[in-house]
Amino acid sequence: MALAALPARDPASRARLAEVSERARPVVLARDRALVLPGPLGDVLGGLVRGSVVALDGPPGAGVTSVALALCAAATAAGEWAAAVDLDGTLSGEAAAAAGVTLERFAVVRRVPPARWATATAVLLDGVSLVVADVPPRARPDEARRLVARARERGVVLVPLVGPGARWPATATQRVHVEGGSWPGLGSGHGLLTPRAPQVRVVGQGAAARERLGVLAS
Amino acid sequence: MSSPVERTLCVWCPDWPVVVARRADPTLADRPVVVLERGAGGLVVRAASSEARADRVRLGLRRREAEARCPGLSVVEADPAAEARAFEAAAGVTEPITPGVVLERPGVLSFPTRGPSRYFGGDEPLARTVLDALAEIGLLDARVGVADGPFAARLAARRAAPGSVHVVAPGDTPAFLAPWPVAVLDAAGTLPALLGRLGLAYLGDFAALPAASVLTRFGHPGARLHRLARGLDEHSAPPAPPPPELVETCELDPPATRVDEAAFAAKGLADRLLGRLEALGLACTQVVVEAETEHGERLTRSWRHEGALTPAALVTRVRWQLDGWLGNAGDRDEDDATGGLVLVRLAPEQVVPATGRQLGFWGGDAAAGDRADRALARLQAMEGPDTVVTLVPRGGRIPTERVREVPWGEPRDAAAGPETSSWPGAVPGPPPARIYEARLPASLLDAAGEPVIVSGRGEASAAPARLISDALGDVEIVAWAGPWPQDVRWWDRVGRRRRALWQLVTRVGETDVACLVVVEARRVGIEALYD
Repeated sequence: MALAALPARDPASRARLAEVSERARPVVLARDRALVLPGPLGDVLGGLVRGSVVALDGPPGAGVTSVALALCAAATAAGEWAAAVDLDGTLSGEAAAAAGVTLERFAVVRRVPPARWATATAVLLDGVSLVVADVPPRARPDEARRLVARARERGVVLVPLVGPGARWPATATQRVHVEGGSWPGLGSGHGLLTPRAPQVRVVGQGAAARERLGVLAS
Repeated sequence: MSSPVERTLCVWCPDWPVVVARRADPTLADRPVVVLERGAGGLVVRAASSEARADRVRLGLRRREAEARCPGLSVVEADPAAEARAFEAAAGVTEPITPGVVLERPGVLSFPTRGPSRYFGGDEPLARTVLDALAEIGLLDARVGVADGPFAARLAARRAAPGSVHVVAPGDTPAFLAPWPVAVLDAAGTLPALLGRLGLAYLGDFAALPAASVLTRFGHPGARLHRLARGLDEHSAPPAPPPPELVETCELDPPATRVDEAAFAAKGLADRLLGRLEALGLACTQVVVEAETEHGERLTRSWRHEGALTPAALVTRVRWQLDGWLGNAGDRDEDDATGGLVLVRLAPEQVVPATGRQLGFWGGDAAAGDRADRALARLQAMEGPDTVVTLVPRGGRIPTERVREVPWGEPRDAAAGPETSSWPGAVPGPPPARIYEARLPASLLDAAGEPVIVSGRGEASAAPARLISDALGDVEIVAWAGPWPQDVRWWDRVGRRRRALWQLVTRVGETDVACLVVVEARRVGIEALYD
């Protein structure tokens, strides 16, 4: 605005002002490169910094998939593209829609052989802003490290889903242990499941190594 | 503001796909025939012979319905390449009459009549000459229409009787158009249906609206159709000849003798051409496809498209044309290429300002979409097209039925109608996040350790107490609901499924795990996990 308000005949002062504004411009802060997470998810995880790795793990039924879908929903709601590597082809599209994922911008890669899991994930890292990937049992550390490097280089958030019997054999910016919780609404022979909020424990890396507990109330 | 409309002659060979199919298989003559095309919803009728139409077979019907309406129907799958190849002969005999022949699609061609009409002594004698030329190559039921503008000429050809001419006198075009239903404007679009609901059933009603109001309410696509309905040129500014540097050329070495070799090269050309036009803010409505053979022959043909050519539409047309020239060894015409093609050139003949496409507000969106498309297409090339899917919700009672997987790049065709919102008999509550199409085998036991049995009337033998499975181990059931009987497709002898569903909450270690357990044909399995 200041530039536009100056008289156009005064190129010297214009140039000086432009130079000052160039010097005074702040560097890009990490939080400016983050995907904003709305609601309680944002309170627990902060934002999703582009190029970071957020590993999700937990026992079956604890809510790992729901947390992953909530991350996808936040990304697609911001106009970004997301993709999921679904090794056994069990991810439910209905649950994704219910979690708020914009399905037009959400691709699912189904039934990739575990041997080519890393290649498929690497291709996705080239194209979309958030990749959720099932980690197969016995994932190789060198492959995982390469994926971490690629995610950082491309500025993509990689979310490995670590199921039972698997582990993420590389570094992660944040490790989120999904611990589940109780399911309300169902009694002995009556009632109906109502949506619940899984409990999570977040362990960061480096300066953020403080452990945080939270409930992802919906 | 509007440009004068060019007087146009249009040749229409009705049911061209049927004509081609009958040529390929003479036993189909005089029998009801439909030509099917694979559309978004399966095989649908693309063209029907008059015998089939007499039995109320309409375009767009599904195959099964068409067969039900017309017993003894012969069904042929569409072969657009063969149709284009066969129509090349018609273009070939029209070309000596006028050099400006433009193909619109196989079965329809048009050309401006200003010069040839004066040479032959009027529109009527010119049209007769064209019909005679077509009759010589066996196209006896071709129809010719002459009117102001290609759109009206096409409708005039529809009005003409087989093998005859319908000429709309200069200036009479608006009156000629007025009684046509609005659906002729754009059969595939949604605007004609909307106009019908607004009470504008005929082109005359639509044409009577003020142009400015149509533009504000329906945008540029609506304004284009409004100009057509008024008998004006479809583009408000006259299509200008594009600057000559937009011509894209590709040399083929070694010469291409097969269609797919040449078409592959043409695909790159088409992408480059439209990319450069797009950068200039232009869209192409008519393009000249040119090829040179190793014997020095030069073949040219122009193709026209309503609206603007998309890359896919352009590539299809180029492919059709190359198919027509290279042809099969079996059916060589004299105007076919005698050798391999050494050069393919695409030159836009008419360009208009691109108005139809709006980039994302933040600029980056379109680029991000392109990037994602490229990566996903690469993955499809590596792992097969069905591996990368997009999910489309649909109705259904069984969790596995409630989502359709569409391979990436195919139309999602999301009919977000009432059927997805409420579906009686579906499992209520939050949708489970993991669904096992091949159920995880399990057994359901009551407090005494006996298996829980669900009777044919949907009654359980006892309350479930323990669930044993490989996935979760031997776990205690802390809460449950059910069994809910589901009798799916009871009217279908083959597809009928009778099952009973339990919604269970089990205690695994410290946490609760909720799942859906199905009993079907006495076998118990975990169908879905609320993860």
